[in-house]
Amino acid sequence: MVSSRGRPELRTERSFSSVRVHSLAESQAVAVQVRLPGGSRTELIPGQASITGRMLAEGTHRRTWRQIAEESESLGMAISAFGGLETIGVSIDALARDWERALEWAAELVLESAFPQDRFEWLVEQNSAELQSMADQPEIKTGWEFLEQLYHPHPRSRPVQGTQEGLARLDREACDGFWRQSLSKGAVVTIAGGVGSEDRVQARAEALFGRRTRGHPGEWVALPRGSDEVFRQVSIAGADQAHFYAGHLTIPRADPDLPSLQISSVILGSGCGLSGRIPQRLREREGLAYAATADAVAGAGLDPGRLVVYLGTAPESLRQAESCVRQEIDRLVSRGVSEREVEEARSYLIGREPFRRETAHQWAELLAAAELYGEPVDQPEWSRNRWLAASRDSVETAVRKHLHPSRIKITVGLPS
Amino acid sequence: MFRGARRFGPGEIDDLTQALGGSNNADTSHDCTTYFFSFASDRWTTALDIEADRMSGLLLEHEAIDVERAIILEEVKMIQDDPWDALEEEVMAALFGDHPYGRPILGTSSALMAMKREDLLEFQRLRYRPDNAVLAIVGDVGPEAFDEAGRIFAEVRRGDLMASRQPGRIGPVSIRRVERRLGRVSRLLCAVPGPALREREYPAMRLLAAMLGAGRASRLHRVLVEERRSCAFVSVDTTETLGAGTLLIAAEVIPDVQPERVERRLMEELARASSGGFDEEELARAKSVLVADWVLGHEQALAIALTVATAGALMDVGLPARHLEKIRSCSLAEVERVAARYLRPDNPRVIGWSLPEGGRN
Repeated sequence: MVSSRGRPELRTERSFSSVRVHSLAESQAVAVQVRLPGGSRTELIPGQASITGRMLAEGTHRRTWRQIAEESESLGMAISAFGGLETIGVSIDALARDWERALEWAAELVLESAFPQDRFEWLVEQNSAELQSMADQPEIKTGWEFLEQLYHPHPRSRPVQGTQEGLARLDREACDGFWRQSLSKGAVVTIAGGVGSEDRVQARAEALFGRRTRGHPGEWVALPRGSDEVFRQVSIAGADQAHFYAGHLTIPRADPDLPSLQISSVILGSGCGLSGRIPQRLREREGLAYAATADAVAGAGLDPGRLVVYLGTAPESLRQAESCVRQEIDRLVSRGVSEREVEEARSYLIGREPFRRETAHQWAELLAAAELYGEPVDQPEWSRNRWLAASRDSVETAVRKHLHPSRIKITVGLPS
Repeated sequence: MFRGARRFGPGEIDDLTQALGGSNNADTSHDCTTYFFSFASDRWTTALDIEADRMSGLLLEHEAIDVERAIILEEVKMIQDDPWDALEEEVMAALFGDHPYGRPILGTSSALMAMKREDLLEFQRLRYRPDNAVLAIVGDVGPEAFDEAGRIFAEVRRGDLMASRQPGRIGPVSIRRVERRLGRVSRLLCAVPGPALREREYPAMRLLAAMLGAGRASRLHRVLVEERRSCAFVSVDTTETLGAGTLLIAAEVIPDVQPERVERRLMEELARASSGGFDEEELARAKSVLVADWVLGHEQALAIALTVATAGALMDVGLPARHLEKIRSCSLAEVERVAARYLRPDNPRVIGWSLPEGGRN
């Protein structure tokens, strides 16, 4: 797709407005989340979404950051203001008895944010420090390079916290503007936990947030093309270990092949413990890596996810480990999967569903995801039926269609 | 324990768990090891079959030991690559010396290389047995779960137990410093000896830790992060150990801020805390935070099972509830007494720094 600016870009964002409530009998907790569309995938300056989201807890027209902290902590509330890849917003976890207060707080933080200049400056400094700290962790530093290799020039190619260069360019007005723009696209408010009557909570939330307009045209987001390098090496000062990432882009969440590719992902190594072909061979049988994971749809959302195999290994084992990874992906694509593997992977995915909906926080997340992606993921039967509908044939077809050994790119972090 | 027993062979535990839609893992601390599963309630007894099998019939084949040893040796190196993990190991070694609490849980490379199959078999034979374990089952099950557990574990051997060494109060006799260099950011970890889990003062110490470092309004966070803007974060926590407790204060320094300035400020705040000066509002806030943490942290069946099993293994299953009750009723005077006893400026402690390579910061 080519945007009006003449560049190849995706236009995948939906605009939305809704309040979703789920009452959990006997729960003593409540989770309130407010998400505004427009995370880092739509930012113009790296770090803009992260700082804007975090600013939501830094002061409103009624309260300073300190009053927010003292008053919320006196109730045991945990407030998290965030700027993620797809949304910015506020998440509050509290005791169920305080649900109304939590809802009022969420509304105040999201709708009446004041964006104080001094707090903006401090958050930029904190984000900058956080980036430096994360770069001290070899696995993360290597992982950033891998994402850049796969997603360039899409915003997913950089840390959600931004870049040092972006943070240096950012100003308060840019964040204030990003917040207003996000608000104009709508909001998803989700409340879950021991709240009693869903109707009463729904009415209160709608009174606080109003019925926000729909119909925003969406955003153009740079198409992830990836870099031309098929191999990238990162130097890790002072380290002993090597970190290995291999993979390529696959499919977004809305792709109809997702359930089949999720099953292949479990077969490859995203399931329980050290099961799966990659961990079994690399770690358990050949002892070539102390950490081995694999996923065929990692990070799939509005934008494409990725095939990624991660290994933590000794530098001298790297070449052999890479060869094994390539063999396993080749084998998956060329020789397919067994009925038993499909059945066990499906059973695993279905069996994990109840554990994705145990807490109030998890429910609030599921309701938000249902709205964001336009999929009823909050209904257990929906996911279950999708996996049940997948067959060995559909899994093999999806694997052949979306996994391509010849397109694999590799990033390794090596001790310098 | 995941590499094969009489009934479930190498790799089969994870494969079977996955096929049944479950998950499993294990966690080893200095005081106990916890094995845990989560399954749908119509198939949970498979977890008991697996535990009974590996308790009574662990194979520990030479080849499996060699593969696992190689993996752990790499994990030991990985710890050294992570600035926080490596710093914590050095600080705990300085705090506890030759005591087991001073050793890395993964072991050292030399100890791992020297370990023989017989050593492992002996350790497993003496400790991995029903009469030295606590079983917690939480979820949609009835009293028949106990019958099922009794039936499955009935055949597993019992016998003489290895006498447990109960570590007493141990720690440094003076203020000690450790320093290492890795990465680009300065990180501070201060370890202060405190009450052990079983001691009467432990709940008050938890409250003191929360008043110092839980939430943005807490004392150290407010001073070091929000007001002075010297640190990106500060955290304060207590270890839940059987033998000797520790208050751990961790801080990550903002680049270009002098580490000495952060240390000086931290020590001033600890000295101030040791001489009182807390108010009822701080205490009430810390209580709210801890009680809410407790509720929010125990919404999942697995979290409840882990709390019950760990408490049962270390002390008794009623301990967490008693601690929570004590936290609710604790007075300001009790917290200040604990602060006065453990945070005095001349008290022994370990101050550890991970500083940037090349001397920056």
